[in-house]
Parts: sequence; structure tokens; C-alpha cells
Amino acid sequence: MKKLVILLFCAFSAQAEEMEVVGNVASKCVVTPDTAGVYGNPTADELSTDPTDGGVDPIVRFDVIQASMYKARILYPTSFSEAPALNDTVVWTGDVATSQVSDTSMSGYDAAKVEFDNVTEFNLTVTGSTWFKTESKAEYGYGKAFPGGVYRAVVSAECIAI
Amino acid sequence: MYRYLVLLLTISGASAHEFTPTYPKLETSYVEGVLYTSMTLFNARKDVEYYEFGVFNAEWEKVPFAMQNKVMRFKHLEKKKVDIYIREKDKEEVVYICSKSKLIVTGNAKTSLSSRICSKVK
Repeated sequence: MKKLVILLFCAFSAQAEEMEVVGNVASKCVVTPDTAGVYGNPTADELSTDPTDGGVDPIVRFDVIQASMYKARILYPTSFSEAPALNDTVVWTGDVATSQVSDTSMSGYDAAKVEFDNVTEFNLTVTGSTWFKTESKAEYGYGKAFPGGVYRAVVSAECIAI
Repeated sequence: MYRYLVLLLTISGASAHEFTPTYPKLETSYVEGVLYTSMTLFNARKDVEYYEFGVFNAEWEKVPFAMQNKVMRFKHLEKKKVDIYIREKDKEEVVYICSKSKLIVTGNAKTSLSSRICSKVK
């Protein structure tokens, strides 16, 4: 009986001592929306995310585990996904730039970025996190006032293996 | 009037989209002439429930593929393995396998960041 008690005690002790936690770190890219964008309305014919126009630039974060395996491709909007009926043209302009970096070696990203149409590409050559802000501006007709209502547009953030 | 005009490029709080592996390999499936690869998607975006999958060549043209559903539902913090099937004759064409968040852009939805992650078949 005494031996049995000792055996049981040993068995329970062993169970309590050994707990394994397994993890696997693999190459990957994680896209995380960080800051909500807001359009300001500095003049009747303009909607802009620029803080000086009363807006907020949307910010998205890219995390990469291994360097030089992905590129970030960010597209500023060229149409509204939701808006009142508009009967004139809307002219879109925009810009994408880094707003914060987790490693000082990422400071060269802006100088090396590639821009075409509404697309901006950054090679993610350094491991870590990079925050990109997307500025966009919509101008309506020739000095026409935007009609009242809700305006919504979509920023596209892509992480593409290279 | 301004309260209606001053709107929105909304992105919701801390949340993320992951799609792995970075470099998937095509393997032989149980169907003759068909290859497959297994991908894993992790949805940490509270504001997104559906993801669309696509297969593309080097020029970003669509390549035919099959899977259980090309648009799948992922609950918040759900991780799922998805098998993607490609014809063996298209093997040389396949370069990118992508997942893209599907946005609800009407009603009360506030999502306005579309995220897409593409892996590369080497």
C-alpha cells in the first residue's frame, strides 16, 4: 500500500512538472490596419485626409519576419465605395509614405519606393514593422460643392512575396 | 451639412491578416493530373469575416484553380487550412496564390481597408 502511494505521488509530480509549449516561426507577412482615416472638407469642392485640411491619414502596418521576401503595395482610392449621387467628375490624387519604422535601416524605404498610377510599392528589405500612411484627396468638378451625405473610400494594402 | 460631408476612410482597431507559407510547393494530389498545395489563413481582423482566394500568373492574369469555396468565412481569430487544386498542365503558369479580405461597404459597416497577401510558387 505504501509503495502504491509513493508511485502515485511520483506520477502526479511528473505530470505537473512537464508541460510543453511548441511554436514555429516561419517567414510571413502580416497586414494590420492601424489608424482609421477620415476625410476633412476644407473647401466645398474638396475632401482630403491631410491633417492640415482637418482629415486623418489612414495608417497600415506591415510586419515581416524575414527580410527581402515581400514587397508592400499600397493603392490610394480612385473612387468612392459609398457616396451620394455625383453628376460631375472627381479628380483623385494621393501619396503613400512611411510614417513610423521599427528599425532605423528602414529609413531608405521612401527614397526607394516605386510609384505608378495610384500604386506605391516598397521592397521590405528589413525585418520588422513598418507603418505606412496614405494621403488622398478628391476634388469635385470645377469648383463644385460636394453634395451632402456620407463618403467612403477604400485603401488597398497588399503584401506580395518576391 | 458639414457633419455629413466630413467622412470617412475608416479602418478598425488592432487586427491583422496572415496567409502562409510564403513559398508554397505544388504536390501531387489523389486525382490524376491535378496538383495541390495547402495554405493557412489566420483572421485577426474583427471587421472582416470573408476572404477570397485567387491564383495568378506572372502578369497577374487569373489561372484556373479549384477549392472548396473560393470565398470562405473566417470568424475573428480563426485559423484554417485551405487546399488549392491546380491542373498539372497549368503548373508552369502559377506564380501567385493570394487571399483578399472581402469588405462590406454599405450599411453600417466601417471597414475600408482591403488587405491582400500573396504567396509565391517557386
